[in-house]
Amino acid sequence: MGDIARLLADYGPAFGQALLLTWKLTVLSFVPGFLLGVVVTVLRLLPLPPLRLALTAYVEIFRNIPSVALLIFIVFALPDLDVVIDYEPSVILTLALVCSAFTADYLRSGINTIPGGHIEAALSLGMRPRHIISTVILPQALRAVVQPMTSLLIALMLSTSLASQVPFPGRELTALVSKIATDSAAGMAAFAVAAAMYVATGLLIAWAGSALEKKARILR
Amino acid sequence: MSRPLQDILFGAPSPRARTVTRGVSAIAAAVLLLLAAGVALRFQSAGQLDARFWAFFAWPTTWTFLAQGLLGTVASAAMAAAIALTLGLVLVLGRLARLRLVRWPSSAAIEFLRGTPTLLLIYVCFLVLPSVGIKLSTYWMLTLPISLSTAAVVAEVYRAGVLAVPRGQTDAARSLGLTEAQVFFLVVFPQALRYIVPALVAQLVIVVKDTTFGYVVTYGELMQNAKVLIANYHALVPVYLVVALLYCLVNYAISRASQRLGGPMH
Repeated sequence: MGDIARLLADYGPAFGQALLLTWKLTVLSFVPGFLLGVVVTVLRLLPLPPLRLALTAYVEIFRNIPSVALLIFIVFALPDLDVVIDYEPSVILTLALVCSAFTADYLRSGINTIPGGHIEAALSLGMRPRHIISTVILPQALRAVVQPMTSLLIALMLSTSLASQVPFPGRELTALVSKIATDSAAGMAAFAVAAAMYVATGLLIAWAGSALEKKARILR
Repeated sequence: MSRPLQDILFGAPSPRARTVTRGVSAIAAAVLLLLAAGVALRFQSAGQLDARFWAFFAWPTTWTFLAQGLLGTVASAAMAAAIALTLGLVLVLGRLARLRLVRWPSSAAIEFLRGTPTLLLIYVCFLVLPSVGIKLSTYWMLTLPISLSTAAVVAEVYRAGVLAVPRGQTDAARSLGLTEAQVFFLVVFPQALRYIVPALVAQLVIVVKDTTFGYVVTYGELMQNAKVLIANYHALVPVYLVVALLYCLVNYAISRASQRLGGPMH
């Protein structure tokens, strides 16, 4: 315990900043990733075979590629193609792309839980497909995916640790631990503090997710 | 199997709608092709299509080296999966135990390992453990952290499976006079396994993805070998593209396998 107290005296503010950066990266990649995932899901519903094919490829690629491999490609290989993206946007772009692919995948299974009769009923009421997607399909699909999206958000929060793989101006939790472990002998204490912060954040997200799930759940 | 929802939604188009759909399809195809052409042009103008960046892919040595990397990935992933399946079982037994003294530490271990990034655990094995005198080989610096964090996830998957087995099975087995261990290992767990095999196989995708961190500890897996190739040929874009494609193929194959296992059981 003495180790941790000494560590917090030395690095307390640094840990606070690192935690904030972890949260910031999580939010900044989750929001666009989620919205992009919704757009991809809707576009995949349209009866346009070339578009469906391309978007299926998109989802499968970004669902199966390791995030680090994608990040390294964006940071180190894209400049050779004259596309230079700064480090922080690169991390956010990587996580948002991966998040969008998983969101699209989960929403699709969410859509599959909707009984076909709902669509037939809406069609027979004279509703246009565009209207059905926005008022019948999406609301039900979104409510069905609260739980997997919560897990995805936690996974995404843990994945922000890969920001430590690029020379980042600010340090998130994992980068801070690796710096402290290299500079001093307080590695174990630093690890304990960072792990506690990650676990606490994860539990917080899980708690918020289950509260939302209780409100949004559709009982069939 | 009922019809996919989008087929109901756009099921019976009028002749006019069909023409419009065909037209928009053609436009979408054209736009996508233009996009692909734009990417190709960017490769061309950046000089990435030069023969010197791709010629070494024609040499068998390149592929032997990449295959060695893939073998390293498989060796680490397979060991991590084996450890995780075993340790996960220990953890879930602890979590489901009646004794609080066993249950609480197990739950805490699961929450801790599940809630910590694998990369952070790798850094602990790589940077922190040597400073307290524990020296692991690069193989274990990578495999051990992956095993630990996967074990915690696997334990939760096991738990979901065990809870999904109807309670009557346990009651029936107990009333036949089976011991608690027999009830779990002969009756409940085999049935639980059948529910969760797809989820366990899907977890393998995450294990393979995590082994990508091998380059952090310079363990010779696919990503690390890719870095060596790049250092030799200065061909970042081609090598990373090929390696990313290899990862996608391996993981896609595992995902498909897990989906097939998820088919009807009876």
